[in-house]
Amino acid sequence: MAKKTIAYIDAIREALREEMARDPKVIIMGEDVGLGQGAFTVTKGLYQEFGKDRVIDTPISEESIIGACVGLAMAGFRPVAEIMFNPFMALVMDPLINHAACYRYVSGGQVKVPMVIRTLVCQGRGAGHDHAPFYASWFMHIPCLRVIVPSTPYDAKGLLKTAIRDDYPCIFYEHIDFYPRKPNLGEIPEEEYLIPFGEADIKREGSDVTVVAILTGVKASLSAAEKLEKEEGISVEVIDPRTLAPLDKQTILNSVKKTGRLVVVETDFKTAGVGAEIAAMVVEEALEYLDAPVKRVATKDIPISFTNEKYILPDEQAIVKAVKELVLK
Amino acid sequence: MYEVTMPKLSLTMETGKIIRWLKKEGDKVEKGEPILEIETEKVTVEVEAPASGILHKILAKEGEEVPIQKTIAIIKEPGEEIPEETVVEAKREVTVPTAEKPVERVKASPLAKKLAKEYGIDLTKIKGTGPGGRILKEDVLRAVEEAKAAAAVTVTPTPPTPTPSVEKAKIVPLTGIRKTIGKRMAQSLQTAPQLTITMEVDMGEVVKLREQVVSETEKKLSLRVTYTDIIVMAVAKALKEFPFMNSRLEEDKLKLLEEVNVGVATAIEDGLVVPVVKNADKKSLVEISSNIRSLVEKARQGKLSIEDVSGGTFTVTNLGMYGVDVFTPIINPPESAILGVGRIVEKPVVKDGQIVIRPITILSLTFDHRVTDGAQAAVFLQRIKELLEKPFLLFI
Repeated sequence: MAKKTIAYIDAIREALREEMARDPKVIIMGEDVGLGQGAFTVTKGLYQEFGKDRVIDTPISEESIIGACVGLAMAGFRPVAEIMFNPFMALVMDPLINHAACYRYVSGGQVKVPMVIRTLVCQGRGAGHDHAPFYASWFMHIPCLRVIVPSTPYDAKGLLKTAIRDDYPCIFYEHIDFYPRKPNLGEIPEEEYLIPFGEADIKREGSDVTVVAILTGVKASLSAAEKLEKEEGISVEVIDPRTLAPLDKQTILNSVKKTGRLVVVETDFKTAGVGAEIAAMVVEEALEYLDAPVKRVATKDIPISFTNEKYILPDEQAIVKAVKELVLK
Repeated sequence: MYEVTMPKLSLTMETGKIIRWLKKEGDKVEKGEPILEIETEKVTVEVEAPASGILHKILAKEGEEVPIQKTIAIIKEPGEEIPEETVVEAKREVTVPTAEKPVERVKASPLAKKLAKEYGIDLTKIKGTGPGGRILKEDVLRAVEEAKAAAAVTVTPTPPTPTPSVEKAKIVPLTGIRKTIGKRMAQSLQTAPQLTITMEVDMGEVVKLREQVVSETEKKLSLRVTYTDIIVMAVAKALKEFPFMNSRLEEDKLKLLEEVNVGVATAIEDGLVVPVVKNADKKSLVEISSNIRSLVEKARQGKLSIEDVSGGTFTVTNLGMYGVDVFTPIINPPESAILGVGRIVEKPVVKDGQIVIRPITILSLTFDHRVTDGAQAAVFLQRIKELLEKPFLLFI
């Protein structure tokens, strides 16, 4: 199969363009997504290619963007909304949680709400409390929502295409660290491909401890794993679930059954976060395979300010420390 | 006289360590006044005098670990005379280890607990190397290795030292028949290289035959012929044709036996007996059937004679009524083979290019590989199959 190299940001745009070309019901809505090309140029050129009726610039009103998407989706469209920064998701909770997530089930399947919300985690840039936080656990908690967290160009393209074709509301997370082209190149097939939801990717095989990591945590875990292997002789298995809902429990459980130890790495707040859910699931389903407590490496439970990120966000060092605490005595 | 005892300060506390005496012998103490400091696994605390008086005797030195509720000092009232024996008695109590130790909570990881259970390792006997002394997987695996090494060393004719069992169990002494079965089955497996081959048999014709026979014999002879009876008849005929299956191995000689005496394994309340149908090859179906009925009846009443259970040359064992399809019966020594019979069950089978539903049973033949090989045993089993699939052959 022929391969090509692509940057993360271009992989997302390619997924959007392919799906829009394939299906006239796919439309884009958001602040500055059209003439403005998207705040970070993700949607660059799509307005010119598909026109103002399919790439719609909206007022600065997140609730109305998502409310409109819910209606469009129920009427047969497949809207892809852009919510510029993840904390703005707080503004869309009513249409998303109380309506979009529930309608298919409570209508007995009479309506579907196929929509995607692309949103950005803007951590590590001093962007502050209303731009930087990552609230994935809010949406993992709600039945019938999809929560997608791609960490490579390959995953981003394949999962976004699947999300657009999926009949449930999907929250699609992008991370600001993935936008610069040079450090975020990856190989993808020339041909069209899709990645099914609920299939974790084992990024590195190991035997002493399982590290489940998402988004920027994946790269940090891989370099921590390399360091631990070299300096301590600890063999770390790194798993990227790629979608948090649905979650590929089996791959995680199989790994923990092999290693007996689990660390979950994420940049959501620690309490009742992504790691809490994965830890509880493993304790519930594989307690007798654990040889040590489960560790959560996550953001400290403190509001993110313009200056405190380097103190509260987890980094490679925190992962190394957590693994050592579990493996060394 | 008042005794000062080591206080129990928490549910899990078993011992306390004397850190420091704040009073010395002969000092005056007030009730509620701290007289010493002790250390538990969690904290250091002061122990107060239980009564006012004079600290007469200190019975535990600084640095000593003392079990809870043991006397560590004696306080007397001013002027009170305390005999030396009392002091000595109290002191002895301190140093004597307590008989009933409270149950210790073992700190072990869930995985370590699971492995300990699997390997039968007593967690209270191993030292944990994890944080806070937690027992880890590797600690259990090390204990398993050590136990293995120890077991390897103690393989000597001397009786093994009894090891305390971790499991609670009701002890059932093996007596009489259970003991005999155990001994004979173990002897069989230890001496004879045994293997089992299986074959499906279409029982359709046997089913028909049995219905016809029963309709005759039930009224006239009040006898219900069973499938086992018919199988015994087929086996007897086949044994006559394959004498090596009706044999007894004696050192380096194989004795091909003249008589065909087929044992029928019969479950009884406390075990299993094998009454024998003598000269089964010379008996009619009705004779075999009534012979087996009377033997089974005797077996259930515990009235079998030595004569009834000896002289067997081959055994048939039927577990079909318990829903078993295939099994690996163990040869009943000194015989050379045994036939296991599974349940008869309707199955789709291909016959002449058509899928038809037929009553099928599976026969499991275990034989002694010293006596014969798979190919010959298979031909014998094929013959039994043929006799059952074309049961008119039994009467030729």
